[in-house]
Amino acid sequence: MPDRPFKLQTGNRESLMEMAPFLKSMRPIIVKLRDLAILMASLGTLLFVILPLIGDPAEVLAGMDATPEQLAAIRAKYGLDQPWFAQYARYWWNLAQFDFGESLTSGRPALDVVMAHLPATLMLSGLAMALTLLVSVPLGAWLGFRPNAPSRRFSAWIVFIFQGMPGFVIGLVLIQIFAVNLRWLPSIGYGGPTTWIMPTLALSSFLIPKLTRMIAANVAEAMREDYVRTARAFGATQSEILWRHAFPNALLGAMALIGTQFAFLLSGTVIIERLFTWPGIGWLLIERTQTLDFPVIQTLALLIAFMVFAVNALTDLGFRLADPRLREET
Amino acid sequence: MRPPFVSFQKQFSVAQATALSARRSLTGEMVLAIVLALALTSFVFLAPLLTTHDPMQGNLMARFKPPGTENHWLGTDELGRDIWSRTLAGFKWSLSAAFMASVIAMSVGTALGLIAAQRAGIIRTLIRQSVDIVLSFPGLIVAICVITLWGQGFWQLVLTLGLLSWPVFTRVVYAEALSLLERDYVSAATLMGVPRTAILLRHVLPGLRASLMVVMAFHFADMLIAESALSFLGIGAPLGEPTWGNMLAASRDKLIQAPWMMLAPACAIVLAVVTANLAGDGLARASRQQGKEVVIA
Repeated sequence: MPDRPFKLQTGNRESLMEMAPFLKSMRPIIVKLRDLAILMASLGTLLFVILPLIGDPAEVLAGMDATPEQLAAIRAKYGLDQPWFAQYARYWWNLAQFDFGESLTSGRPALDVVMAHLPATLMLSGLAMALTLLVSVPLGAWLGFRPNAPSRRFSAWIVFIFQGMPGFVIGLVLIQIFAVNLRWLPSIGYGGPTTWIMPTLALSSFLIPKLTRMIAANVAEAMREDYVRTARAFGATQSEILWRHAFPNALLGAMALIGTQFAFLLSGTVIIERLFTWPGIGWLLIERTQTLDFPVIQTLALLIAFMVFAVNALTDLGFRLADPRLREET
Repeated sequence: MRPPFVSFQKQFSVAQATALSARRSLTGEMVLAIVLALALTSFVFLAPLLTTHDPMQGNLMARFKPPGTENHWLGTDELGRDIWSRTLAGFKWSLSAAFMASVIAMSVGTALGLIAAQRAGIIRTLIRQSVDIVLSFPGLIVAICVITLWGQGFWQLVLTLGLLSWPVFTRVVYAEALSLLERDYVSAATLMGVPRTAILLRHVLPGLRASLMVVMAFHFADMLIAESALSFLGIGAPLGEPTWGNMLAASRDKLIQAPWMMLAPACAIVLAVVTANLAGDGLARASRQQGKEVVIA
């Protein structure tokens, strides 16, 4: 018994010393959390200022032919008649408890409405991302491996022209061909796999050319590096050179692109969802801004910002893990 | 494998090497980009001569005429307006909107990037935070706010696009200006008492020219797409205005009756975006050949 507290003490001290590098490595995460807090605080404030400019929620709730008394009653009920700082405090108090208010059109909690539409968007962007990677990685590697071969030059030009086509134009052309002329696929809606094909194609067309060209450029650049020449001199085969030496370096840059393009992909989904009447959050955003459903719009804005931030932060942290050169920076 | 002429080039005089790099920077794609850009801008100015009808004036007797009809060689839309004339008018509308939006984004973004690079501390933190906020803010909500407050119009659209996209420039300018500020000539200027603003404008800004031109070309392409996308959603250009996005939006509901309605505006957008991308690619390659590293964020 007498020696146990003694051991415990040294053990504690040592473990604290061991904690120090761990705490240091946690620093980037703490910085990210601070940035997230700042982002959410400013975005929430911005929305608090901006959204009332679009319209008066009390008028939306009361309907077109409401009497002034009814309006006043609704204002009193939702605290809209109070001074702005009281409303602002109440706004943050509610947000802090994850209470985003109730939808003005359906009366359901706004968070539930948004969450009900989130899976459709996540599925669409997931499918598009998967297709993008499936096409861009082999195509980019093939194009970059020997960029001056005539067949690859020709293919590079086709990719380049595709980069000039906005996704919704491709969507329109797809509808025209496969839904109107050939009648193979349904043009709108969200059901079985046949309804997934065209939205996925249209959405991935936003990213495929960009990513392909980026991977191709990176592979082509890596092929000129000294380490590739060394590998070649040591008798590495062509495929070894491509996949073991040139490609991994090219992929790092491509990963960064995917992270920063996520916001772009999300804004792409808004247009594609609208075009194909796909019931995701982009479609919801357009629909609810037409009916001025403020709590839902606000929840969507916060959720989209959070998602963009999270993807960027995760990419950044992943890079720190993968590339030791970046760890020293804050 | 390096191309063989590199070892040759070392024997050239500086003047010859410069001439060579200038000639090499004028690659086929750059020539093509210049030709296409001239053609597109000439469409803007020649539109009054080439137009056959009033782009805004409909004729309900001549709705949904297919291409090749007498008087309307690209057909007419749902209100009987001539598609050729509308696409022509769209050159002026869409190209100038995208151009003005990128100019605004470049001015704001470059100014903030320069300031952030020079002033460490609270100002830099503020600018970097606002870059993150603007980038993750759903632009659609801003566009709708602007429309409800000030209505739909050219300047409303241009300002919305410009003020939502400046972080693209800020990131590039910030990264490059940081390294330029480390140069010896900047330290020398500082020691000689040149004011900070003058250092930024006269010693740092010229060094950014190559990168800015590249980013500007790509940004112009992005703005063209963004303008047409917003118009496509009905929250961009005023309804009925002859922009490519509006024409595409109208064609979306008439795909079965009038599939030709989307053809001309779609081709025009693709042509304009491809031209801008070509110019961006060519400029990036040119400055890379002159030994400058161009950062594209």
